[in-house]
Amino acid sequence: MSLSSANVALTFKHYKSGTKPIWCPGCGDFAVLNAITKALAQLQLPLQDVALISGIGCSSRIAAYTSVYGFHGVHGRALPLATGLKAARKDLTVLVAGGDGDGLSIGGNHFIHACRRNKDLTYIMMDNEVYGMTKGQASPTTAPDWENSKLTPEGTGIRSFKPAALALASGASFIARGFSGDPNGLARIIAAAIEHKGFAFVQALSVCPTYRPEHAEWKEHVRKLETGPTDNPMLAIQRIVADDGMSTGIIYQRELPSLVRAGNDQSGTLAEIESEFEL
Amino acid sequence: MTMSDKIPDLDTFLVYSITLEEEAADRHDELADVMDVHNNPEVAATFRKLAHYSRLHAQEIRDHAAGRELPVMAPWDFEWEGAESPESGDMTAANYLMNTAQALQLAMANEQRAFDFYDQISRESPVPEVAAMAAEFAAEEKEHLGMLQVWMEKTDASVNEERFDFDLIKISE
Repeated sequence: MSLSSANVALTFKHYKSGTKPIWCPGCGDFAVLNAITKALAQLQLPLQDVALISGIGCSSRIAAYTSVYGFHGVHGRALPLATGLKAARKDLTVLVAGGDGDGLSIGGNHFIHACRRNKDLTYIMMDNEVYGMTKGQASPTTAPDWENSKLTPEGTGIRSFKPAALALASGASFIARGFSGDPNGLARIIAAAIEHKGFAFVQALSVCPTYRPEHAEWKEHVRKLETGPTDNPMLAIQRIVADDGMSTGIIYQRELPSLVRAGNDQSGTLAEIESEFEL
Repeated sequence: MTMSDKIPDLDTFLVYSITLEEEAADRHDELADVMDVHNNPEVAATFRKLAHYSRLHAQEIRDHAAGRELPVMAPWDFEWEGAESPESGDMTAANYLMNTAQALQLAMANEQRAFDFYDQISRESPVPEVAAMAAEFAAEEKEHLGMLQVWMEKTDASVNEERFDFDLIKISE
């Protein structure tokens, strides 16, 4: 008997699997996991109605640590996998998770197209500004002067992405930033992202204590946005560019049309989807 | 706005207190799990014991709340002084090389924050029953602090040596 049919109030623990995370002690990803499970518990979403799709990297292990449907996918390809799943099973609440490297480097192309397609997905990018699993290389969000990698001892010299700006320019309809040091605030943002109809992008600043221990200082710099979300893209981009990337909250939220096939509702059966690919 | 303003009645105080203790237990369990995974069994056992004690305290508070209809609050509705409830250990203070003494120091800092929370409410709450219960809980936290201090003094110094990870040698070294 599933928990939901037993009429039991779901707590965040129901959404955690028994698998112990192998993340380093102090990793911000623990807080992101707690935030996701607390958001799901607050929304009381039945376990069998939620799927979490992830890519590759430390943070992408998160799918195994939840008890909802999960798919620990292919590097950079969490978003297309999730898009396909949502197309086939639009009844599911589909979450997508991964790191900054997974989402903005090898998966960068998928990210921008997921934004413009505006499928009803919640994408949580756990941004620690480093490739942790491969022992600390610069990622697309790493500052150009970060010198602590053996691969780039003098820094990359390459300007880093501003994920929120990229999401806005690509057409995302919900853009927010949270912080692992504020798991309850992050849970509130994720709950709002799940409830948003369309592609919701949440940049979760997540401290890597092993390769970016200096980010422990983030908790001194992170603060809440002074204003609520705007639906005006011009205002949103001004706020994003003027900010140092440490303000948390919902930056932008707007109702936008979602990708749908012209002429009919999206298919819900495997046979219908397969017919689309017949040669 | 002080904590006393945010906690206007006994039911709200009980919800805050239960949440504080449960989140402390959850964090200790989380730390115990991660120490297990990283093959640090002594520190894992320490955090597991601390989780057990926090759960006992949570149960005591639930017993105080028996028969009362407590308000239901979302995690983000709690207005703690910090980002998390005061007895939740700072995850960023943990590392896989930590020793028992460091784990106990972390636990003592948590207990101190819990004491401060209850103590402040006991002194500032205008609701007599809230102030009285907060004083009781503050006394218990003080007792826990004393127990941890004794535990710390009894800890074998040999398990408290600094540990070192050769993988983390900086390129300049």
